[in-house]
Amino acid sequence: MSSLAGYEPLFELALLNMVLAFSQYIPLRAGVFSLGSAAFAAVGAYAAAILATRYGVPPVVCVVIAVVAGGIFGALAAVPLARLRGVFQALATLALVQIVLSTALNWTALTDGALGINSIPKAVHLTEAAIAVVFVGYVLHVIGLSAIGRGFDIIREDETVAVSLGYSVRKHHMIAFVLSGAIAGLGGAMHAFSSYSITPNEFGFHMVVMLLAMVVLGGRVSVFGPVVGAIILTGLPELLRGFQDYRSVVQGALLMASITFLPSGVVDTTRGWLRRRALTRGQAGADAAEVTS
Amino acid sequence: MSMLALQGVGRDFGGLPAVDSLNMSAERGRITGLIGPNGAGKTTVVNMIAGLLKLSRGQVLLDGEDVSTREAQELSRMGIARTFQNIRLVRDASVRDNVLAGFHLHEKTSTLANLLGLPSAFRERRALLARTDELLDRFGMTAMADWPAGSLSYGHQRRIEMMRALATEPRLLLLDEPVAGMNDAEAYKLAAIFREVADDGVAILLIEHNMRFVRRLCDHVCVLASGRLIAEGDAESVINDPRVIESYLGS
Ligand SMILES: Nc1ncnc2c1ncn2[C@@H]1O[C@H](COP(=O)(O)OP(=O)(O)O)[C@@H](O)[C@H]1O
Ligand SMILES: [Mg+2]
Repeated sequence: MSSLAGYEPLFELALLNMVLAFSQYIPLRAGVFSLGSAAFAAVGAYAAAILATRYGVPPVVCVVIAVVAGGIFGALAAVPLARLRGVFQALATLALVQIVLSTALNWTALTDGALGINSIPKAVHLTEAAIAVVFVGYVLHVIGLSAIGRGFDIIREDETVAVSLGYSVRKHHMIAFVLSGAIAGLGGAMHAFSSYSITPNEFGFHMVVMLLAMVVLGGRVSVFGPVVGAIILTGLPELLRGFQDYRSVVQGALLMASITFLPSGVVDTTRGWLRRRALTRGQAGADAAEVTS
Repeated sequence: MSMLALQGVGRDFGGLPAVDSLNMSAERGRITGLIGPNGAGKTTVVNMIAGLLKLSRGQVLLDGEDVSTREAQELSRMGIARTFQNIRLVRDASVRDNVLAGFHLHEKTSTLANLLGLPSAFRERRALLARTDELLDRFGMTAMADWPAGSLSYGHQRRIEMMRALATEPRLLLLDEPVAGMNDAEAYKLAAIFREVADDGVAILLIEHNMRFVRRLCDHVCVLASGRLIAEGDAESVINDPRVIESYLGS
């Protein structure tokens, strides 16, 4: 028990990473190549931290405001960015991250610049983080089963077919940006309330790559994809603690290998494999029954 | 008034016309054949009608309304559905999910109800799944419902394309070589379904290579060669038209 308790911060981090990975998962599922989650997370984190430390707003209210702020920011970003595709969209959303970062660095009156915001009350622990993951995961699961999830899937796979069936790509991409922004706003705020302080650099290139890797590694169709991706990429550095010097090398190599051999991600590949196996077995059973009867 | 009328329609690629001065029409309740050698411009015509290619010249009228400049999504809402010659399915998704995607235009529950997972959204999903299963049954594909679409034969994949297009409940159905690669028995089974669909009042434009199939099924046939209409009429007279025979032999 005491040995497990030592891992509590790690579990908490893994759960918070899952929330942020969900924010990256939604656009990828909808065929939007957005890397903007880090920017939305920064908006949520700073909104929550500023409200809590300067104005003494209760954490729950801060989190709600951060979710709304992230969602609105996502909607505003979607207006120019949703019409872009592929690498252009990736680059433009990356530029958005850059803009938010420089704003956080330079608008010192509001953000205290590079020093960041400190003395944020510790309001998020393992329980709160777990509740957030279950809540967001459940909501995304329901959306995935709904008409909107069907729209995401067909737009991601083939936009031409989607429009031929009457799907509005603009509407679905807007929904994806808003959801991504709102979820990242939640993740950012919870991160702020979990770690006592935030600085602009946490929401930079490292976070962009980490979130992208989590979803690509885990899978971008099933909701469990980002969950598994977050577990692996949060736990891996811990497992590799012995190889301090080579840690990044091992991690990078693992990522390259998994993308090469499991391009759909761990979860989606496994699910596809299980499904095929069940179908083949059912088929074999039916054939056998036919022969014997 | 025709369900579909093309008036002087043309489309250029790199300055050269792939389709030119095309006048033709498709009537409700009837199957209109569009035949012609490879590269004649048949798929280009379908893409223009469906809004995936802009017209260089001319007009497309749907039930009398000029729809030449409408987007594909709007045209689909107006009742145009099509299948793709180069099969385009979500390969990893099940047959059932591929067909279900075609019912989008019949979804009535609001975006908010879907986002919140309200019971109305789930009820609608169940109702659409029931309609999906009816289509699967009609095309004899119930046993394959759970298989990934990409794992099936081309013949079955073409059937999925057709079910998905029919799911939209179109007024005008564009079929781009729907029985390519099927044997006669399979093709005639589908022919019976096309006839039923037409009998329900849908206008069907059927692109096909197989002359026996066209002769048996089409009420009216248009022949395209090098982007121009070279003959039209009932199947028998068109197939025996010397210009048509020449265009096929010459290709
Ligand atoms: N998107 C496109 N871009 C450039 N050329 C095209 C395009 N689509 C068709 N073409 C050209 O137009 C001509 C007609 O093609 P197509 O309509 O596919 O013929 P068919 O379906 O009758 O075999 C061909 O020469 C083809 O190369
Ligand atoms: Mg063609």
